[in-house]
Amino acid sequence: MIIRKHKRSDAQPSDITSHSSYLNRRQFLGQTAALSLAATALPAQAIQTHDTTRLQKPEWLAQQVAAAKESKWGKGESLTPYSNVTQYNNFYEFGTAKEDPYRYASKLKTDPWWVTVEGECEVTGRFALEDLLSQVDLEERIYRLRCVEAWSMVIPWIGFELSTLLKRFKPLSSAKYVEFTTLHDPKQMPGQRSAFSTIDWPYVEGLRIDEAMNPLTIMAVGLYGEVLPNQNGAPFRLVVPWKYGFKSIKSIVKIRFVESMPKTTWAQLAPNEYGFYANVNPEVDHPRWSQARERRLPSGLFKPNRIETQMFNGYEEEVASMYSGMNLRKFY
Amino acid sequence: MSMLVSLRRFAIFLLSMTPFFYLLQAVVRLQAGEWNILGPEPGRAIVFFSGSWTFNFLLITLMVTPLVRYAKQNWLMTHRRMLGLFTFFYATLHLLAYFAFLIEWRWQELGKEVIERPYLLVGMLAWLLLIPLTLTSTKNWQRRLKRNWKKLHQLVYLIGVLAAVHYLLQIRSSWFEPVLYTLILLLLLVPRIAGRKRL
Repeated sequence: MIIRKHKRSDAQPSDITSHSSYLNRRQFLGQTAALSLAATALPAQAIQTHDTTRLQKPEWLAQQVAAAKESKWGKGESLTPYSNVTQYNNFYEFGTAKEDPYRYASKLKTDPWWVTVEGECEVTGRFALEDLLSQVDLEERIYRLRCVEAWSMVIPWIGFELSTLLKRFKPLSSAKYVEFTTLHDPKQMPGQRSAFSTIDWPYVEGLRIDEAMNPLTIMAVGLYGEVLPNQNGAPFRLVVPWKYGFKSIKSIVKIRFVESMPKTTWAQLAPNEYGFYANVNPEVDHPRWSQARERRLPSGLFKPNRIETQMFNGYEEEVASMYSGMNLRKFY
Repeated sequence: MSMLVSLRRFAIFLLSMTPFFYLLQAVVRLQAGEWNILGPEPGRAIVFFSGSWTFNFLLITLMVTPLVRYAKQNWLMTHRRMLGLFTFFYATLHLLAYFAFLIEWRWQELGKEVIERPYLLVGMLAWLLLIPLTLTSTKNWQRRLKRNWKKLHQLVYLIGVLAAVHYLLQIRSSWFEPVLYTLILLLLLVPRIAGRKRL
């Protein structure tokens, strides 16, 4: 059902986490001595973003995530509350309703996790996530996430630039695209068992190699200072902030360097509605709805938080040059 | 006897109001500070909820005649009008919620949206067609229109088809609910139309 029951743990409007209170929280989480002091200064729910009973935390990852550095990205943006970020998701592997991933993803086993690397590169093989992460420094990136359904959030991801990972596999010059695949395990993912889904599992996404190497493109392993909750694509997901959300593929088990454009899931399912590029573009409408504006969540009832959608989701400066001379109406 | 009918009518009225009361208390609590009670998109949740209940009442209303005819539940006929009126009630709520919460009364945008998104047009047409049925639902109009009343009210078949199209056109990946509603609708409509042809 669409209507959700209220839970005591849900935040109040006054508690919607601001950037500064979130940073304060991060600070004091590391300093137990200062806890009582900080707790009196902050509303309780703004601090209690996490739900420890649900988070599966391999200790090595939790430590690495906690040590993530801050970055310049997204300073001054007001964050979408943790409860919305983690309970309003599109992750069709767990069901098509927005609350399904929160409801059904907790059983997904994310540790140990293996990632297969293959295709047009020198270094191929099957790697443990722990090994892939052993040489990277994590940082926090506060990015806007614009869904193709015309809603958006602001999320503090913990991750690292995809390019640093890809370079380790030494891509060949024939590697024109990178293809990513989500875990296919109907036992753990009820949405993949459903007879009513039109998706041909596993979920596949892809980027052009220059898009994959762009400094804005990250692999995330955490959000809000903690390990990724399963429903947000644990343990290892892509975040491409200038593209519609469906490009940011979750729970990745395979990375493949390829010569021709990957056959991505939504572009295969409804090619007239979803393209390979899927760059956020207020001027190119989805055939069934306008993309000119978006609902920035959480949205109020009488004051819906509707804002103008920005070209490339506001990351024009960083990415526009990759598409110069391209007809974005044709390559949507 | 009439006492029983009145009681029954009152009970059906209350039951039919339940979804509305549910929304009302949710909105009151939302405004009182429980901002997350309808999720991060409360307006959209209300539009979906009222839309589903419009379709539910449409199907319930269409079930009355077969239940009277084949299951001999004659008492139901007395209440068909109220069920039909509730279809209009929830359809209007659905439309108003869409205007208020999703497009915020920006009429220019509405014009553009309606033309560009065929499912909106189909939905609005269905709502418009409900108006003459609502206005002529009284005994008085039934008498005045005589045999034409029945013909007029067969518009509900077309309204049903439009509602189904309105829903089907919004499928992204999960087609279960829209297809289920459409199948139930067809189950209720096809025998009627096939039966009419034979006459």
